[in-house]
Amino acid sequence: MPPAGIWVDGLVQSCIYMTMAFGMVLVFSILGILNWAHGQFYMLGAFVVYYAITAAGIPFPISLLVSGVVVGGLGMLVEKFVIERLTAPGYGMLYVTVATLALIFFFEGAAGMAFGLMDKGLATVLPGVLDVGSFSVSYQKIAVVIFTLVIMVIMYVVLNRTKVGLAIRAAAQEPVAASLYGISVGRVSLIVMGIGCALAAMAGGIMGPVHSVNPFMGRIPMIMSLLAIIIGGLGSLTGAIVGGIILGLLNSVIAYKISYFSEVVLFVLVILVLLIRPQGLFGAPAK
Amino acid sequence: MKKWYNVVAISMVAVIVLGIFAIACAQKPAEPQATGPITINIGEPVALSGSAAPWGQIPTPFREAWFEVFNKEGFKIGDQTYNIKLIQVDDQNTAEGGAAAAKQLIFGDNCKFLAGHWTWNFSAIASVTNPAKVIFVTRTGAPDALPASWNGAYDAKTMPYVVFGTPSQDEFTYNCFALVDAFPNYKKLGLLDSTVSKGGPGWVVLQDVLNKAGVRWHSEWFTPGTTDFAPIITRFAEEDCDIVFVAGWIGEYMAFAKQRWEMGYKDMKVACSGPFVSLGMYKAVVGADAFEGAIGAYYDNSQFKKTEVNPKYIAQCQEALTIAAEKTGKPYEYTGEIAWLPSHVLILVQAMQKAGTVDDTDAIMKAIRGGTFDTTIGKWTMSGAETYGSPVVFGTPACLCVIQDGKEVYLSEHPMEPLP
Amino acid sequence: MMLGRYYIDYKSVLPKVVAGVLVVLLAVFPVITTNMITLSIFISSGIWAIAVMGFTLVLRTGQFSMGQAAFMAIGGYVAAILTVKLGIPFWPSFLAAGVVSGLIALAIGVIVLSAGGIYFSIITIAFGEIVRIVALNWEAATRGASGILTLPPPPITIGNFEINFATSVVPYYYFMFLLVIMAGLVFWQIDRTRIGGTFRSVAANPMLSEHLGVHLMKYRVIAFTVAGVFTGLAGAYYVNFLSVITPLMFDLWKSIQIMMMSIVGGISSIVGGSIVGALVLYTLGNYLARLPIFNIQYLLFGAAVVLVVLFLPKGTGLVDLWGKFWHKVFREPEEYEMPEEADMAVE
Repeated sequence: MPPAGIWVDGLVQSCIYMTMAFGMVLVFSILGILNWAHGQFYMLGAFVVYYAITAAGIPFPISLLVSGVVVGGLGMLVEKFVIERLTAPGYGMLYVTVATLALIFFFEGAAGMAFGLMDKGLATVLPGVLDVGSFSVSYQKIAVVIFTLVIMVIMYVVLNRTKVGLAIRAAAQEPVAASLYGISVGRVSLIVMGIGCALAAMAGGIMGPVHSVNPFMGRIPMIMSLLAIIIGGLGSLTGAIVGGIILGLLNSVIAYKISYFSEVVLFVLVILVLLIRPQGLFGAPAK
Repeated sequence: MKKWYNVVAISMVAVIVLGIFAIACAQKPAEPQATGPITINIGEPVALSGSAAPWGQIPTPFREAWFEVFNKEGFKIGDQTYNIKLIQVDDQNTAEGGAAAAKQLIFGDNCKFLAGHWTWNFSAIASVTNPAKVIFVTRTGAPDALPASWNGAYDAKTMPYVVFGTPSQDEFTYNCFALVDAFPNYKKLGLLDSTVSKGGPGWVVLQDVLNKAGVRWHSEWFTPGTTDFAPIITRFAEEDCDIVFVAGWIGEYMAFAKQRWEMGYKDMKVACSGPFVSLGMYKAVVGADAFEGAIGAYYDNSQFKKTEVNPKYIAQCQEALTIAAEKTGKPYEYTGEIAWLPSHVLILVQAMQKAGTVDDTDAIMKAIRGGTFDTTIGKWTMSGAETYGSPVVFGTPACLCVIQDGKEVYLSEHPMEPLP
Repeated sequence: MMLGRYYIDYKSVLPKVVAGVLVVLLAVFPVITTNMITLSIFISSGIWAIAVMGFTLVLRTGQFSMGQAAFMAIGGYVAAILTVKLGIPFWPSFLAAGVVSGLIALAIGVIVLSAGGIYFSIITIAFGEIVRIVALNWEAATRGASGILTLPPPPITIGNFEINFATSVVPYYYFMFLLVIMAGLVFWQIDRTRIGGTFRSVAANPMLSEHLGVHLMKYRVIAFTVAGVFTGLAGAYYVNFLSVITPLMFDLWKSIQIMMMSIVGGISSIVGGSIVGALVLYTLGNYLARLPIFNIQYLLFGAAVVLVVLFLPKGTGLVDLWGKFWHKVFREPEEYEMPEEADMAVE
């Protein structure tokens, strides 16, 4: 039985994958595309938080909100000028996929040029460690868990109790009918992209102090959230959450048992899921 | 509207096509012969972009400064003085990038020497330099930059123009001894390396040597790209390792150091197999208190206790450090470069003087084999005939520093001998 | 126009003549320039072009394979292991590499193509990663991260003329040229015949094609296997050209670049589009890497691809500009440019 420290660690990873996967699924259910550059918004969010704290002295929680707004806005720009053009009827998935993949290179290069390649640290944000019996947890990691809970609650409230949420859900399920009712799918797409990217950005911001901030930090979270979505089921928000939890805990426990083979296990798991039950745990069955 | 799109697309294509032809027709003009010093081009394929780039970019101020200082005097063969021009090309730390960079340096910039190389594309570059009879000074320790007897890719017969100017592999081994010297009451030495090196030739020999010397150790492996070291830290703790020697890139070392502190293992010492790149960065990422007591490689030749360095080179390096500080506008901390490119260049220069030529690479290689050279890290003989099949390996003092009050302080040194 | 008694349709002949001249220029390119760097760039572009052709063929059946680089790795390792460890001469190993790649593609295709769509794409990503991890860890076969060093093929003597791969890059260039032409012919032929037409219908409307009795899976698998064979050959040749293969050389990001080369070149033309796309993007990437402003290559590369994708009309790539160019050149005087509003109405 792995020690408690491993489970806590897995929980922290789950929180991040969950948040990222949630954002990706939101975007997928409205826009019908996988945003391959999702991890880049995570990275940009971390940088915004870094500069907000170190250059402008803005306190951490507000920096998080700032990064959510700024990067969410950037996401909306990307949606308007790139994604919207490429998801017009008749284009198919190809162009938008290539474009979002190319954006990965673009953002990494831009961040590398603008911010430099050296790791940047934010260890001073929430220093200190909480000792719980046989293991310790840093306050920052506790903050990650709390943050995720708060975000999930907010998302639940927004999606289920507000008009905007209603519009989003309607557009996700029945876009044609929704537009008949006066809901502009274009506007909803913009909002959803903003929310999705903001979620990624804040995830990056809250994780920045845990490790470090550098232009390449977005690659692995993106692949992981992709795997989480597959396990949970494309298009299912519950699936994103459950998938994130499973993936995070699994990753931590397997790494503890057999260290370097954890990657292979995860990929094989994903392949099996795709072959046996492609819709994942909670997705709609394939057409 | 459509017409405008086409215009944009066509103009982009035109630019790219013109660019292709520009490259095709580009030939560097020959250096004009002057009566003053003649300039020799030395090329360095180095990672200037991508994730390994910080280690390639950080030494730049010092490196430029060092060549400034060196070229004031230059070196002489007979009556002719020579200066050195360093040409760096980004090799992106990949095999293809390395081959392309080497081709650019050799055929585009007319370099007869490549030096200061440390990225992980030894084989790709060696396969370009050897047919072209270009001397390639690199380091051992990357998975393929080791002799065939250790299952590496270096073969003295097919690669007659390769020189190992920095034996990272041997250095890692002797750093282990230096650690044990510094902490004689240690319980167990933990060794952490990436899976890319696992089971590789270096580790087999390392284990052998450590066992013979009676060092207690335990090893763990991490996948490249890991940011979460909790499982590994837990296992080291379970094995009772009180010193962990991390052979990873900067990011991994910092993550390990920070996480072990946060997990409560504050007494676990963490050592880095490379020099500290920028103390400020480590403090910011790891946390100032977690970083106290961290150990790293140390190359400030003015501080060596067991290795004697020619005072002329100590003075040169100090001057270069001062110039570098002036250029960057703040104190320049990184001393790692002292053991790399300047040392490589001094080997080349002294070999050229011994051979009496700057063009005949065969003669220069002959002068290098088994010769003794006086460089920024001491006087060493090219050893390695037994292990490497050819005496082209240089030495480095295995020297460590420890962080006290946020500054690097000399810790210990273990003299190096060629590995069996 | 009239040339004596013969009527030559200059509109269809001239583009072909110009294309032919370009091909001839390429054929004698090593005579025009002996610049090692340029020749290397062209050789590498040609090899990637073959991989891109494979990707585009699979795309015709409606599937995005994001793991093509893995087949290059497989082909490369097979060739390297056969020549270095088992001492088999280069040319049989080269062919064996293609065969093994093809067989693996066949096996994977049969199992995985049934999933289809985005699921297939993700499985190809996972496949690519697994190939990389296996190559890294199966040291007995692949020597892990050290990689395998390969030697150039032995010289070929034809009469008094010796083709020596070890001393010069030119033989590599010509062989690459031949390989690209052969691959191009194969792919072009597939495209022209009924198989190609069937592919297009399969991609356009899978359900309808199924109803019409077209056995979807069979054609998808054929496409994937043929792509696998040629990509494996390309990988084997590339590895021999670079003299080394390491697990890091053919990773997910290379597969993504193959995809980009295909789109930028133009998916409407398997042969031409692939060659144009590979040449342009590879040269661009190389050129950008030489710029002193570090990391700008990622930024500009990404930006270039996004811009091309955004601004070229749907379904076209750079190669289609060729057709447009001639169309503009041959415009009849009466073919007046319609005013803007009419243009939009036609859209």
